Amino acid sequence: MRRALLLAAALAAAAPVPARAWRLFGEPSDGKIRPVQALNDADKPAAVIAALTPQFLQTLRGTDLRQAYVLLGDNYDRLGRPDEALGYYQVGVSLFPKNVDLLTRLGGLLHRNGLDARAKVFFERALVYEPRHWGAHLGLAEIDRRFGFLDRSADHYEIALEAPEVVSRASVWRDYAEVLRRMREEKTAELALRKSLTLEPNSADARVDLAFVRRDQGDYQEALVQLDAAIGLGAGVGAVRAKALFLLEDGRLAEAAAAAREVLGEVPGDAVGEWTLARVALARGRPADAARALTAVRDASEDGFAARAAQVLLAQVKALEAAPKGGASR
Amino acid sequence: MIRRALLLALALLAPAAASAADLSADALLRSHLWREVRAAPVGRRPKVGLVLSAGSLRGTAHVGVIKVLQDAGFPIDVVAGTSMGAVVGAFYAGGIPVDKMWEIASELRLDTGSNFSGSRLISLILFDSLLSSANTAKLVRKYLDDKRFDQMKKPFACVSMDVYTGEAIIFRNGDVATAVRASMNLPGIFRPLEYRHRYLVDGGVVDYIPVDVARLLGAQWIIASDTENDYTASRPKSVLDSLEQVIDIRGSYLSREQRKQANFLIRPPVGDIGMFDAKRIPEAMERGVIEASRDLDAAEESLILASLPLLSKDWTPAQAAAR
Repeated sequence: MRRALLLAAALAAAAPVPARAWRLFGEPSDGKIRPVQALNDADKPAAVIAALTPQFLQTLRGTDLRQAYVLLGDNYDRLGRPDEALGYYQVGVSLFPKNVDLLTRLGGLLHRNGLDARAKVFFERALVYEPRHWGAHLGLAEIDRRFGFLDRSADHYEIALEAPEVVSRASVWRDYAEVLRRMREEKTAELALRKSLTLEPNSADARVDLAFVRRDQGDYQEALVQLDAAIGLGAGVGAVRAKALFLLEDGRLAEAAAAAREVLGEVPGDAVGEWTLARVALARGRPADAARALTAVRDASEDGFAARAAQVLLAQVKALEAAPKGGASR
Repeated sequence: MIRRALLLALALLAPAAASAADLSADALLRSHLWREVRAAPVGRRPKVGLVLSAGSLRGTAHVGVIKVLQDAGFPIDVVAGTSMGAVVGAFYAGGIPVDKMWEIASELRLDTGSNFSGSRLISLILFDSLLSSANTAKLVRKYLDDKRFDQMKKPFACVSMDVYTGEAIIFRNGDVATAVRASMNLPGIFRPLEYRHRYLVDGGVVDYIPVDVARLLGAQWIIASDTENDYTASRPKSVLDSLEQVIDIRGSYLSREQRKQANFLIRPPVGDIGMFDAKRIPEAMERGVIEASRDLDAAEESLILASLPLLSKDWTPAQAAAR
């Protein structure tokens, strides 16, 4: 009873969001599911599954039965058995086709397993019954982002981010910012990332994202400040790679070479490290050094893009090396 | 307990956590070089041609492809199209925003490009009375007015065929709407269009993917969107289905070489959408977006590699000074 009251209070606190996911006791039922719910709340997935036997399910009705399918799906999923979770969600959806909890859970599970086209259908169905369901909007935002529908994705993120459950999640702000950046709405992306950093000030990933946005805005100084901050927070060699390239783009050749050497110190033969050194050597009129670095990229990174790019540039550099010699001999 | 349950629900409902930026060497180098390609004028990169294939209503998938290319800032310098590719290409080259193109395509019906109707169809079959494609020109004129080729925002060309000579007729000047109508003038259904002493039908018969036309416009690197029919997917059930099948098979044979000539090919999986299946236009456009998004990194890489010899000319002090 106390829990039910607390729950009602919690739902009332989240006033803008229609009560949905936690209305276990909001509709008539026999309340037989409560002990199983307690096992679920106590994080005992195996016990939940053991308790929800087919015989027990036959005794349930209304919201109890619906919640039983939610619990079965959730707990099989927690145990890392998505196929069985999927089966229970599907049965639940066929029995309660308008229930947004089941629809969004089914959509979420399909989405997490890469079945986005199928997941989308369930999220969209959930929105028919509850147009501002944050879980469905978040799922659709992810799917549209993956499929390339950036404007739709941004719209879904914006609605999801109005929900109290989501607005404090730094990761969602970052995802939203990434979509905005791809739409080349850098200023809004920056604002979203700053919000993310307010929530998680020590997020190296958010600093890296912000660095990319600032670079898109042409502010290399700030971009490099953010990258340095990310590196300080343990962003790893990837951020140092980015730093080398940003410095190169900004024409700061000596610093770019220093960052490249730092990368190569950590990852010998690293494609970005060698490429940066090659570009610096070219800019300083040392094609032989550039050729050496590009050969290293070509030979080290097999068939990746860097190797193919190095191969093309190497051919140009070799032609360049040959040209002055020809001129001198004449 | 409630808090834990809420957290669990959050974890179950929420999609995967934010993905960290791809800081691999390949991804970073691509992003670094793509910035330079995007900003480079023609000369520091190849002239880029966009080629849009024939494909009747399936060709609306081109709108989705263009949307993705535009979002990515893909440089497009010239445009060539055949049949529905000519319609979409004309709108794009004429400066119609892609969102508007999406809206226009969403509202297309069978009679948008013709006087197609049940009674006309009966008349076609019983009395051998061909339909008129005048509505195609009307549609183009509605958005591009009486624009001529030299007034387009980007150089544009489209292809038709002269039924008397079997020649491919490439339109690069004159009235755009008439040329587009001639390009999308399905033989056997629409009356051939008499224009400039030619008797013109759909260009898809002779030049399904007009890569050669983009080359004529000076394109040095070509990205093509191909919305070919998957004619193996179903058996024709009507006169129109059979006609479409024959045209598509012929187009497919003819376009094999053209496909090889394109530097990058995007093939939205719309082969199962029928030529008159107007209800599936939104689906076709969505498939265009999905396929183009999937291919985007590879397309960027391909253009970067083609641009490197030109870009790198400014990377040494001597070369930069010489330029």
